[in-house]
Amino acid sequence: MAFQTQGSNLRALLVEDIKVNRMILSQMLRKFQVETTVVQNGKEAVELFLGGETFDIVLTDNLMPIMTGPEAISKIRAMGATDVMIVGVSVDANSMEEFKDAGADLCVPKLKLEILEHILQETRSKKNKSSA
Amino acid sequence: MEYGNLRRQAASLKKSLFDQGYLDEQFCQVEDLQDEANPNFAEEVVSLFFKDSARVMLNFEQAIEKHPKDFARWDAHMQQLKGSCSSIGASRVKNECTSFRNFCGEENAEGCTRSFQKVKREHAVLRQKLESYFQLLRLCSPRYHFQACQILARQHSITNITLPK
Repeated sequence: MAFQTQGSNLRALLVEDIKVNRMILSQMLRKFQVETTVVQNGKEAVELFLGGETFDIVLTDNLMPIMTGPEAISKIRAMGATDVMIVGVSVDANSMEEFKDAGADLCVPKLKLEILEHILQETRSKKNKSSA
Repeated sequence: MEYGNLRRQAASLKKSLFDQGYLDEQFCQVEDLQDEANPNFAEEVVSLFFKDSARVMLNFEQAIEKHPKDFARWDAHMQQLKGSCSSIGASRVKNECTSFRNFCGEENAEGCTRSFQKVKREHAVLRQKLESYFQLLRLCSPRYHFQACQILARQHSITNITLPK
């Protein structure tokens, strides 16, 4: 499979407590040459934003220790980070509504390479429009 | 061992894992992530999965004893296992996790116990089958054959063995 990057300079934040999932999602992002920061729960994600870090896209699980994905999303949006693309990733069907209510742009049960490519392209278009 | 025969055996084993429902297309996604920088990525992920999931199941067994009928806690453990099963395409283990969580929802302790035994069984079977699969892949990898040739060469005092392109 050929992975199109189109000169990708996107910065991603991956929020995931399960090691196996972190490994797979990190490798997927690496395939698209996305600069990725990885944290293990929602609180660490929020702290990064509070510290002034910026990201083009956040990929987050739902249920995590200390702070869930939807909780973190609510706090990130409340800080004024409305431009960042936020994607909820969870196999749990009940998670979709929680993610949406919290302010996620998108929810997927499973991240596949084709889906991620499409999401990254959308994120890139959004970023290009806002910087134009 | 014949190289082509080993590759056929590996392909046949992989096909049977899909046909019998042990794996789903997510496993192919994991294998697709392999590249020159990470040539053993799939095996590393699967190895991590079995290490982590064994720990989760052990924690769960302790939770059953310490927190009887704490269905919310039991469900949380199984949710974690289900998540990682889904990520590597461990379909049958994932389905048993779903079944377990349904019993939790019904607060059916006996159903949960029976279901957990099935989770453990499916987990053990998948582990054995994937170990065989990756062993076959290792045996038919060019690097394995190159290392075997190097050993033979040293035994016969032959030098200048290089990996063919």
